[in-house]
Amino acid sequence: MKISFAKKHFIGIASVVTMLLIWKIMAIYFDSSIIVPHPEDTLITVIKLMSNAGFLKIASATIIRGLVGFIISAILGIAIGILAGINTEFNTFISPILVTIRSIPVIALILLALIWFNSGTVPIFIAMLTMFPFICTNVVEGIRSVDQDLIEMARFYRISKQKIIFEVYIPAIIPFIISGTSSAMGIGWRAIIIGEVLSQPRYGIGTSMQSAQIFLNVEAVIAWTLIAILISSVFEKIIRWCEVKMVTWK
Amino acid sequence: MGLEIKNLNKSYDGINLFRDFNLSFPEETITCILGPSGCGKTTLLNIIGKITVPDSCEFQGFDNKLFSYIFQEARLLPWKSVQGNIEFVMRSDLSASERHEQASRFIKIVNLEGFAGYYPSRLSGGMRQRVSIARAFACHSDIILMDEPLKGLDLALKQNMIRWFSEIWKADRRTVIFVTHDVDEALLFGKEIVVLSKLPAQIVAHEKIEIPAENRQLEDPFFKKLKQKLVKALDA
Repeated sequence: MKISFAKKHFIGIASVVTMLLIWKIMAIYFDSSIIVPHPEDTLITVIKLMSNAGFLKIASATIIRGLVGFIISAILGIAIGILAGINTEFNTFISPILVTIRSIPVIALILLALIWFNSGTVPIFIAMLTMFPFICTNVVEGIRSVDQDLIEMARFYRISKQKIIFEVYIPAIIPFIISGTSSAMGIGWRAIIIGEVLSQPRYGIGTSMQSAQIFLNVEAVIAWTLIAILISSVFEKIIRWCEVKMVTWK
Repeated sequence: MGLEIKNLNKSYDGINLFRDFNLSFPEETITCILGPSGCGKTTLLNIIGKITVPDSCEFQGFDNKLFSYIFQEARLLPWKSVQGNIEFVMRSDLSASERHEQASRFIKIVNLEGFAGYYPSRLSGGMRQRVSIARAFACHSDIILMDEPLKGLDLALKQNMIRWFSEIWKADRRTVIFVTHDVDEALLFGKEIVVLSKLPAQIVAHEKIEIPAENRQLEDPFFKKLKQKLVKALDA
């Protein structure tokens, strides 16, 4: 069943209002800003944090780490994904590696990364290892889903291998790359912030959350969480915008 | 000089599809190969197009020939527009403007002017197949192979498709080899009609029609009589 745009919008707002309502009820029930602060107080803290002179440094440090991790994962994921999609032997070789990376608990990776890297690199490394398998697996799936009749047609028309890769395979896997990016980014932001909490780089949302937690400033912890959600949803919107612009043919 | 297949032998899974089979195709003509389902028509087309390797065969006149193919399904790239799909198969040594100009010319012939920027998902089945016809002609080739491209279309649309095809074909008169199991399609389309028997395939009838495709009416006594003859040959 199709829902109209206005109705969808209304249901979305209703969902947010419900969450705020539950939050408010809990805040009234516990009646302690150390356990559950009031939503309006937290909102004021968000605005205060965002208008603070150091905010841009903190937020941009996390965003840059996320983007660096994403770019490395995307390059590796797309290249290895294409190879694995085209070559069955390589896919058999790479599959256990991907499964292993996916199965390693994030905390184990962080603990090891803390030993291996400096505090600023740890979140990037974690982001990369959590995002890369998603992108890679989606690219493999994309390549596998390419209509073989189209490949046969291209070969029959004597189209070069290079042109087949760039004009048949790559456009066919773009929707899969976008969907992989969306899942990877969702998990990636969480991993970066966990990495920052534990590695404590000089600037970072995770670092600020940890500092707030030490001083039992629950308002600030939740406020930074809301800022992290906001950043994640902005990137999700950017991904959806790219999808609309790049996959115009569906 | 015509094109000839001599002593074609091909078996698949122990089944003899062709045994010492011979067939010649006049150049610059539409030859229609008619046969019951499963008689090896598509295999024959694939052998001619060098997709399938025969057990043994002597090809005459096929050296250095380039092929275009019109498949049962249009096989268009969904992410390319009508124009893009046609330009995709064109020679890479042509400049972008030459490609654009030639593709536009073929789009016009198949009556799809105004749809050049449309993606295949926005076109009807008949329109997509017209793009595939335009693509086959836009590709630099000597022979066009067609594998039941009108399958599943209703008679009125078939007649229109044949009209568009004839229109585009008249411009450069490429050699066309067309396989079908539908007698009406063969009558509407072929200048030469070759009827194949059940396996192992043998030629059981060979007819010529001089009436131009655009003037053919299946209700005419000539076509009615010819249809009876072809149906009888098919059932033999």
